[in-house]
Amino acid sequence: MRDVTLKTIYDQRRGLLAWCVSLALLVAMYVAVWPSIRGQPSMAQFLDSMPKAFRALFAMSGADMSSPAGYVQIELLSFLGPMILLGYAIAAGSSAVAGEEERHTLDMLLANPVSRARVVLEKGAAMVVGVLLLAAVTAAALLFEGPLGDLRLPAGNVVAAMVHLALLALVFGSLALALGASTGRLGLSRAVPAVAAVAAYVVNGLGPLVSWLEPLQKFSPFYQYGGHDPLRTGVSTSGILVAVLTVLAFAGLAVAGFRRRDIAA
Amino acid sequence: MDASTGPVVSTRHLTKAYGRLLALRQLDLRVEPGEVFGYLGPNGAGKTTTFRLLMGLLRPTSGRASVLGLDTWRASVAVHRQVGYLPGEPVLYDRLTGHQHVEYFRSLRSMPEDKYARALAERLDLELGKPARSLSKGNRQKLALVLALMSRPRLLVLDEPTSGLDPMVQREFHALLREHTAEGGSVLLSSHVLAEVQRVADRIGVLRAGRLVAVERLEDLRRKSLHHLTARFAEPVAAADLHLPDDVRDVVVDGDTVTCSAPQSALDGVLKGVSRWPVVDFGCVEAELEETFLAYYGEETGRVA
Repeated sequence: MRDVTLKTIYDQRRGLLAWCVSLALLVAMYVAVWPSIRGQPSMAQFLDSMPKAFRALFAMSGADMSSPAGYVQIELLSFLGPMILLGYAIAAGSSAVAGEEERHTLDMLLANPVSRARVVLEKGAAMVVGVLLLAAVTAAALLFEGPLGDLRLPAGNVVAAMVHLALLALVFGSLALALGASTGRLGLSRAVPAVAAVAAYVVNGLGPLVSWLEPLQKFSPFYQYGGHDPLRTGVSTSGILVAVLTVLAFAGLAVAGFRRRDIAA
Repeated sequence: MDASTGPVVSTRHLTKAYGRLLALRQLDLRVEPGEVFGYLGPNGAGKTTTFRLLMGLLRPTSGRASVLGLDTWRASVAVHRQVGYLPGEPVLYDRLTGHQHVEYFRSLRSMPEDKYARALAERLDLELGKPARSLSKGNRQKLALVLALMSRPRLLVLDEPTSGLDPMVQREFHALLREHTAEGGSVLLSSHVLAEVQRVADRIGVLRAGRLVAVERLEDLRRKSLHHLTARFAEPVAAADLHLPDDVRDVVVDGDTVTCSAPQSALDGVLKGVSRWPVVDFGCVEAELEETFLAYYGEETGRVA
């Protein structure tokens, strides 16, 4: 309870623990299934036989179920992993200010000698810690559970992929934070980032196939996240830079939006 | 403005509009050091809006407000260092215990220790070990009071502080307020009932539909306090023959008996008028302050009590 960040993490402790356990179990399940998948040429044929557009949505650059990297990418990194981390980040970002405001606890919190900027940034910091924790747990699960099912991945690339995944979640989480801080409306600050994430996902997936979407693809946070195939190529400096700048910009908007408005009674 | 000698609270033409609704109009309010100011008005008159403006939770539409010379919007952090705030309907963190609430807010206030908070909880008979969601309404109110008082601020802004408190706790609360003002602290507290503030307030202000319609020292109000008079004469009299002072109200003549209500200041005039006639019986009872108050402000203020 020493500051807003620690208190916020304390509030989330049960939820975070549940997410960590779920992610570890999810990875364990993929690891357990891996030995029976990798020898199956039919899986590769199945993927090849799928419509290109459909495959593009969840397979990132290469659709290859026969290598550990391709398998983890399709099963975890292209859809379920982002969904879980985005879900946590959007929930944490939106409830940071708007959640307390709708529960009416914000009046007493802000009556303390803490600036609104500090409150929103410390709450944002709690979200960053939570997202990094989930990404770290996923990385650890992949690296420590993987070898049990002979699912071996280069540690550096796993960490790189998780850094990108965490940043992807933080982009939409900080959007939720900015919306919640500027409007105080919980529903809005959850719905808008969720819709934006789906749109960004589709733009990135279909960009290569749909000519009018193609110029937009590079602006999708999902492109910064996975366009360069982090599990095979490691970090993308430009991808990290764009994501970090986006997060900082949203954090700035959150502070500016929160400082100029009335707190709902 | 020197913060040590100037008013603790000072507002100038303070106005707050929500869209088209004017919640507070041109409020000029001053609270002096060591003073308890009772802020009275029916629900929806603008009391909570005033307090939330003072706490920097709302931005004035026009005009300005300052606490200890500091602007309540621009210098809100510095203001909060000197102010303890109890919201009208305090909402606590359901899952945190009293101790955790104290610890959290103490850290945010950079208070080195929680001895005073514990002492306050003891005096208010509050158990700090339980999570807020398991507390009764009265106990939640007590915890919110502890949080408002524990930093020994120079100004207390208390919105309906005694709601939900039983009479014993109210008495302890009033004792706490007296200690606070004895040390030079000021209090701004709101209520919709005069009876609740008359024991502690030095001055009262009456708010109605966003306007401050009256500010009165409580002792002045007491001076005006109504007395119910009954006089029975040896023979029937006419009201006009008694030459009662102008500020005597509710004169009723019933045969040989006259009843009326008179402020304290008019008593002498009443007695002199009455004594010109042979009096058989005479009675004088001081009214409750509440009644005096309503007599003066009742019609304009709506239902204050």
